Amino acid sequence: MPVLELREVTKVFPGVVANDRVSLTLEEREIVALLGENGAGKSTLMNVVYGLLSADHGEILVDGQPVKIRSSRHAIDLGIGMVHQHFMLVEPLTVTENIILGREPGRMGVIDMNAARKKVAEISERYGLRIDPDARISELEVGLQQRVEILKALYQGARVLILDEPTAVLTPQEVRELFAVVRSLVDEGLSVVFITHKLEEVMAVADRIVVMRDGAVVGEVRPSETDEIGLARLMVGRDVVLRIDKQPVKCGETVLDIRDLSVKSDRNLSAVNGVSFTVCGGEIVAIAGVSGNGQTELVEALVGLRRPESGSITLKGNDITRASARSSIEIGVSHIPEDRHRRGLVLTFNLAENLVLGDHRLKPYATRGIMHPREITSMAKKRIADYDIRTPSEKLIASSLSGGNQQKVVVAREIGRNPELLVAAQPTRGLDVGAIEFVHRQIIAERTSGKAVLLISLELEEVLSLADRILVMYEGRIVKEFSAEQADAETLGYFMTGGGGTKLDKGGADLTMTGSGVGA
Amino acid sequence: MLSDIITPDLFAAALRMATPLALAAIGGTICERSGVVNIALEGIMLIGAFFGTATVLATGSPWLGVLVAVLAGVAISAVHAVASVNLRTDQVVSGTAINLLALGLTGFLMELWYGHPGTTQPIPTLQPVFGFGAMGDGFLGEVWRWINGVFLSHTPLVYAAIFIAIGTHWAMYHTKWGLRLRALGEHPRAVDTAGVSVARGRWVAVLMSGALGGLAGANLSIEQVGVFQEGFTNGRGFIALAANIFGRWTPIGSYLASLLFGFADALQIKLQPFRDVIDLPPEFFLMVPYVVTVVVLAGVIGRAVGPAQVGVPYEKG
Amino acid sequence: MSESREVVPTQRAWMSVVQKIGTPIISTVLAIAVGSFIIWISGYDPAEAFAALFKGAFGGPRQTGETILRSTPLILAGLAVGYGFRAGLFNIGAEGQLMMGGLLVAWLGVQMAGLSSVVTIPTLLVAAALAGAAWAFIPAILKARIGAHEVITTMMFSHIARYIVAWLTAGPIKAPGQIPQTVNLTESAQIPRIQSLFSEGALEALPFLNLGRAHLGILIAIAAAVGVWLVLRYTTLGYENRAVGLSPWAAETAGISVQWTTVKALCISGALAGLAGGIEVMGLQHRIFDQFSAGVGFTGIAVALLAKNHPIGIIAAALLFGALSAGSGTMQLEAGVSQKIILIIQALVIFFVAAEGIVNWFIRKRQKEAASSAE
Repeated sequence: MPVLELREVTKVFPGVVANDRVSLTLEEREIVALLGENGAGKSTLMNVVYGLLSADHGEILVDGQPVKIRSSRHAIDLGIGMVHQHFMLVEPLTVTENIILGREPGRMGVIDMNAARKKVAEISERYGLRIDPDARISELEVGLQQRVEILKALYQGARVLILDEPTAVLTPQEVRELFAVVRSLVDEGLSVVFITHKLEEVMAVADRIVVMRDGAVVGEVRPSETDEIGLARLMVGRDVVLRIDKQPVKCGETVLDIRDLSVKSDRNLSAVNGVSFTVCGGEIVAIAGVSGNGQTELVEALVGLRRPESGSITLKGNDITRASARSSIEIGVSHIPEDRHRRGLVLTFNLAENLVLGDHRLKPYATRGIMHPREITSMAKKRIADYDIRTPSEKLIASSLSGGNQQKVVVAREIGRNPELLVAAQPTRGLDVGAIEFVHRQIIAERTSGKAVLLISLELEEVLSLADRILVMYEGRIVKEFSAEQADAETLGYFMTGGGGTKLDKGGADLTMTGSGVGA
Repeated sequence: MLSDIITPDLFAAALRMATPLALAAIGGTICERSGVVNIALEGIMLIGAFFGTATVLATGSPWLGVLVAVLAGVAISAVHAVASVNLRTDQVVSGTAINLLALGLTGFLMELWYGHPGTTQPIPTLQPVFGFGAMGDGFLGEVWRWINGVFLSHTPLVYAAIFIAIGTHWAMYHTKWGLRLRALGEHPRAVDTAGVSVARGRWVAVLMSGALGGLAGANLSIEQVGVFQEGFTNGRGFIALAANIFGRWTPIGSYLASLLFGFADALQIKLQPFRDVIDLPPEFFLMVPYVVTVVVLAGVIGRAVGPAQVGVPYEKG
Repeated sequence: MSESREVVPTQRAWMSVVQKIGTPIISTVLAIAVGSFIIWISGYDPAEAFAALFKGAFGGPRQTGETILRSTPLILAGLAVGYGFRAGLFNIGAEGQLMMGGLLVAWLGVQMAGLSSVVTIPTLLVAAALAGAAWAFIPAILKARIGAHEVITTMMFSHIARYIVAWLTAGPIKAPGQIPQTVNLTESAQIPRIQSLFSEGALEALPFLNLGRAHLGILIAIAAAVGVWLVLRYTTLGYENRAVGLSPWAAETAGISVQWTTVKALCISGALAGLAGGIEVMGLQHRIFDQFSAGVGFTGIAVALLAKNHPIGIIAAALLFGALSAGSGTMQLEAGVSQKIILIIQALVIFFVAAEGIVNWFIRKRQKEAASSAE
């Protein structure tokens, strides 16, 4: 009898079917990997199981009994534990305090810390998850923090453990340790659902692989029956990558020249590590990589939102290494930010106000601090027409537009400014197919008009269809460079996830690449 | 002159002056630890002081007055809880409304019940707990004079504040309530996913801060001044918030920071009669607590980090 | 991506009108209703009370003049608080900046005795604004550089200002006599009353011009409101102020310095408050004394919130609170209800406007749902 079974679970968000009749079983002492691209519906499904969301249709069975899971408390009571991608840990508290939160041992409201510590030690001993019970979370490495999350679930009595993208934030070493932990958990009688989009991992750890695409299960295989290439095909859904017709690259003068750039993250850790590359006019260079490998910090350094630690950034011969965001815009860097709601738009500004953002001090929109609404309005009207922004008026506030139209506003502003360099960070994230095509055409048009484009994307398909050159970023470094003709989704995905021993070992890269079937 | 200033009653006054600040500051600590900003403490103190005084005027019982002050503080803070926890309004704006409401309501009832604005009739106050006299001569007598003067000359709520500081501090680090409270303001979703209600935790915290604010008001009116006077909290609620920050969001820290402000206040009062020596106008002394507050705030912030999610309404799911 | 999937905006435009005008009116009505209830359970007749209040506020030209008089500093204080809010800052200490503006004017005005009013009045207005801005400057820097919360710092500065006024009026710049106050301004430093513009004959022929103590400061206040409106709408300063207030992240990305904008916003807010104090001294009090402001800075918070920080709305909201304030005396005299009820109504207005955030939030959520289901 499976410990957990989902039958035809369907979850609909307004306008999107996130889970379409998903069925899944998890046997005792089994590791099932849930594989799929970002947005395939994996996390939604597990949030339904953990009681954070409720399914619209379908059934969930625990130990063969149908249950209606109403809250996370209820899920915990049923023996389901979840390690969230964003940890649910209180940083200033200690390991023990975090683990016992909500189920504190003791009498009359007074916590028996000795009993708590003992119990934590006991569990950590039993599963081989060694940790200092009195350390504060903020002092721990990410890998150890994750260990605390697992211990928390075990303390709460989990028999089924859901790990949501557990390796997204881990180093390769930590990933190996995690795999060992997961195996020992299974030896102790647990069952594990492992959510990921990294092929290498599922091959290494899973007993069974369930592949999801567009909210539905599209395949179920065992690692022994397949290889990474087959899995990638199943996950992405097509053999042929759709490419937009474009003229062969005519590389003009070098527009962007980055040398030995190192940037630190908010947590003061090294995020970008000695990166060098150039982008010339008329060329689209894409940075491909899994989220959190330093792309965000690289972009922020490039557009003046973050001070690099060392190295240099040059735009058409001008040193912009330490330029402010303002002078960076004025010197010709446009930026489509990855977080459109937070950084791309002032959601409560109207479209005209949003379209002039960043250029609002410059002629013809303003002279000596006085803004010229007529100029701004006519510019806004023109952009709305040119970029096909579906709105009755430039006076509408941005938040009332659909996501695709909001992004068109950002694209219209950043490209309409006529920059030297366009930095497009995940420009199509969360957009529907029509809007994606539109954004892609605009980016190609920039290239055609001889501008330099730096595209940062997590979507392989996007990278492959747009880029002239592809740089794979992993762990803050450029680990591989491809020309457009050389690359295909499987190989790229392989390097993005640190595949084939490329990890930090650049020497062996070429060998492995041939081995994984380039040119197939 | 120095021996005229450095006397037991300077330090006794510091303890006394620190008491309303400390009670309110601990209230602020509890509230902010749960993730709710409470700038309404000023108004809560005023409400507590007024209803406490009114009760004493009606019944003659100071202790009943203290009880009513606490209940009044709880009642008015419930308004803040509804606004900030359930309606998810801006907590600072809601606090401002309560401060203004307190000013208006106490003034209105003052005129309604007593027929005049300003100050009430004097009320019987809570008396010092101990009444030891001088003992012995010489060095030992002097030591006793200091101990008796600084520590044993106080009214009940002064001691209560010390016990509350120690008690809540202990509870914050040794009980379920304390652990959940500390987690609430930092990462409410972690509390939620552990199966504990965020709304309930915040409600309890806001009401507790209301009780402590009411008690602070009782101390001011029923122990210290012996009357209610319109607006006589005089920014203490805001100073208490600064004390909470200076005390790094801990009850004992809040108490000690309040002691600093209390000492500054006591010192300026003590120094006032020496104006022929220190040639400064009295207003300069009166400014001291406020200046000290700004300086402390400017000096400590950046190094003192509050709960990560304070002031942010929690939305489930 | 067909046309039909796009959002239909008409309903939204209608809703935004309701949002803009409807909710402040509902908040005011609710606040007055609760106020009436309090009056009623206190044993008075709310109808009689509000009739007396209305009479005191609009019963005749002199009463109307009193309403205008009380509204004048409220417009400026409301603008001060509102301008700060538009940058995401809560200048709760406008009261202190207001007192500093009044103080500098009261002192400088006396020094300038003998000069023509053409020189004196503009100079004093500028001085008032500068004094207010200066008083907001330190909290502004503390906020921008180290993040010290402006609610505590401006509040503390407000108390400090109170003692500075008390000190100076009791000693260094005290007028001869028992009362701690400054020497009266000479006429050249005073803002004239409105009725002084008209001849006796005109006043007799047109009695509605007999506006009592109302002075021309109201025109300055209205001009300031229009000015702030223009700044917010037509200048990069105002645009950046709004951008930082609505989304500091998007503003930062667009090359706007959030810190510098914060400093500018709080200083401009202080300048407007200072102007309120200066005009109160030049138009009405003609001198400064301890506690001369009596909470105008705090009422400014209610004014700004009720008007949703819109400069033109602030004129209307200030007139409402000015009328309440002007009529409250008559209400106390004729209906016996304490003037303090006005403070309670103010608090309730703030509360209901703030709680209206939930209405807003609800409407916005529905808009979002409509938008996403249209995708």
